[in-house]
Amino acid sequence: MSAATLGRRGLIKAGALTIACMVAGRLVRVSPAEAHAMAAVPQVLSPMEAETLGHLCETMVPGARAAGIAEYVDSQLAADPSESLLIARYFGVLPPFRDFYAAGFAGLDAAAKAAHEKPFAALAADPALTLAASLLAGAPSGWTGPPARLFYLALRGDAVDVVYGTQAGFEMLGVPYMEHILPPRRW
Amino acid sequence: MSKHANHEVDVVIVGAGAAGSVHAAVLAAAGRSVVVLEGGPPRKLGDLYSSQLWARRLKWTAPAASDVGADGAGVSFNGGHGYGGAAIHHYAVWPRLHPADFRMASEHGRGLDWPIGYETLRPFYDRVQADVGVAGDAAQEKWRPPGAAYPLPPVPAFAQGQAIARGFEARGLNTAPLPMAILTQEYQGRPACLMDGWCDAGCPTGALANPLVTYIPRALQAGAEFRADAHVTRVLMDGAGARAIGVEYVGAGGVRHIQRARAVVIAAFAIETPRILFNSATDKHAGGLGNASGLLGAYLMAHPSISVFGMFDQDMQNYLGPTGGQLLNQDHFAKDATPGALGSRQWMIAQALKPNDLLGIAMSRPDIIGPALDQFMRKAARGLGNMVALCEPLPDAANRVSLGAARDAHGLPLAQITHRYGNDAKTLIAAAADEGAAIMKAAGASENWRSPIAGQHLMGGCIMGADPARSVTDSLGRLHDVPNLIVAGPSLFPTASAVNPTFTVHALALRSAESLVRDWAQFG
Repeated sequence: MSAATLGRRGLIKAGALTIACMVAGRLVRVSPAEAHAMAAVPQVLSPMEAETLGHLCETMVPGARAAGIAEYVDSQLAADPSESLLIARYFGVLPPFRDFYAAGFAGLDAAAKAAHEKPFAALAADPALTLAASLLAGAPSGWTGPPARLFYLALRGDAVDVVYGTQAGFEMLGVPYMEHILPPRRW
Repeated sequence: MSKHANHEVDVVIVGAGAAGSVHAAVLAAAGRSVVVLEGGPPRKLGDLYSSQLWARRLKWTAPAASDVGADGAGVSFNGGHGYGGAAIHHYAVWPRLHPADFRMASEHGRGLDWPIGYETLRPFYDRVQADVGVAGDAAQEKWRPPGAAYPLPPVPAFAQGQAIARGFEARGLNTAPLPMAILTQEYQGRPACLMDGWCDAGCPTGALANPLVTYIPRALQAGAEFRADAHVTRVLMDGAGARAIGVEYVGAGGVRHIQRARAVVIAAFAIETPRILFNSATDKHAGGLGNASGLLGAYLMAHPSISVFGMFDQDMQNYLGPTGGQLLNQDHFAKDATPGALGSRQWMIAQALKPNDLLGIAMSRPDIIGPALDQFMRKAARGLGNMVALCEPLPDAANRVSLGAARDAHGLPLAQITHRYGNDAKTLIAAAADEGAAIMKAAGASENWRSPIAGQHLMGGCIMGADPARSVTDSLGRLHDVPNLIVAGPSLFPTASAVNPTFTVHALALRSAESLVRDWAQFG
């Protein structure tokens, strides 16, 4: 804890801190994008919830699915709340955060069924975008669960985090990352 | 077994943030035996990853506090846990309170008076800024109260700051370098800032005055003991209810400990400090310790603030500089400067931006989703400028921390927060929004917009005052009816002004800690 004289580069290579997930029956540590590519089994989310999350976040922030949004959120829901990286904690959402997500997914499906007679994950791009956008203004018809605006902001924030909040995201925007201490892997 | 377990020490301090670490450093250096109990983890500089995602680990999550008022107070984002507390992720904007902030009720018939004036606190501001290193330009900062010049030259203004400053100038308004506890040159063995905007994630280089590089090392060197993951449940009182005799806490593995002490300092931030005092109720203090006035928990305040954004055609270099901003304006700081409202307001100009997070580029336009988002992100990554208006909330006894029905893992009631902004605050924000739009337009922004109101900083809840019937502590933070139980931190503020509170937290803590050293015969 002495006063640091640490330079920007290579201060501490924190090593490979990653997310834990189940792949082919084994618990492994990989980045969320790698977990997505390896078809990891969610630990907390149901397969349907993971699909709903992926579709909503991909709709709001293109690129979120490939960046591993479902695996990222799943890993954070499995973590101790004080260690969670989810932006929902800034919006006054109280642990357990899994309840917030589950209630939101249920609300989204209820709204999708009210408007289109199918769950949100089955909506085509245009109706999915229209329904997602409507959440910011308030609860759409059929919505149940947490305030729709809050759910929108939290999940859009998650998607922005995985697409633009990483070193790869900065590079995509041409923004220099200028790290002091590199975050573990890409997260 | 840690060395002080079960043995009485001179002082036990609850909370290893800004206020607690100042107390620990001063008291230990004076030869007092000191134990600091911190509810969070034992953070170190190497934990401070450069990432807005990982930064969230530094913010407060538990014990959870529920917002039940009309306007949330931003408890998680503004709070912290672990060594350094909220100050580990603060942005180090360090203006001083103004003399008029201390006498609002006397001069305007509304708000509250402090039990001290600016001149009492001035030497402590001067000493703290010399201790930790504050950068600024006292001459250019025309609104600045009297005090020693800054020990370091100001932070630079990059393209974003320069562009928005032209808008202020065009509107007949002034700007000056933002006073910051960020080193612009090497100072006392700590390096100068690299101006890369990672303040929110915690500064691991030591350039920003977070407690990990200021008062915690001094406290450790002087012999203070810090215990992490030590959740204080209550203050223990003697049978007469006149003196605190220590605290109870839950440590690793859920084991309960008693730490006896001759004096107790509660520096657990604006929510946990009153919660601990409520949960320490005894038959002699049925409503909680320090609550004879009925005002324990009352007058909770958050600064109402908005961000004003402008899109520019030029490269704003908006990724450079401190997160807190580059420039200051206090042209409307006088309490009556805004028609229709009582209270001060301040601009912090040209915050460094990251693509993501609560104050990031994407969240500036939460309505944009789908294919349009990437187009916006690429344009804004170069052209977005921003500034933050910080306004004064009047103290309102109805805004308060109280105990709710929910309980924590140890069976103790959790805090509940009732908070809303008054009409004066809303008028100040509306005036700032109009002014901000005009400034961005004058600066050359092709479009401008603003954020919703958000709460910055948390203050009040255990206010100091001269009258025990209308306050919780005296000007030194000592409970009126339990003088060896001392509150430290922003909980003490009777009014919030429109400046960032951390400098004042340090100055008050230094004054309080030195008074304990001076008056120790009363405690030992």
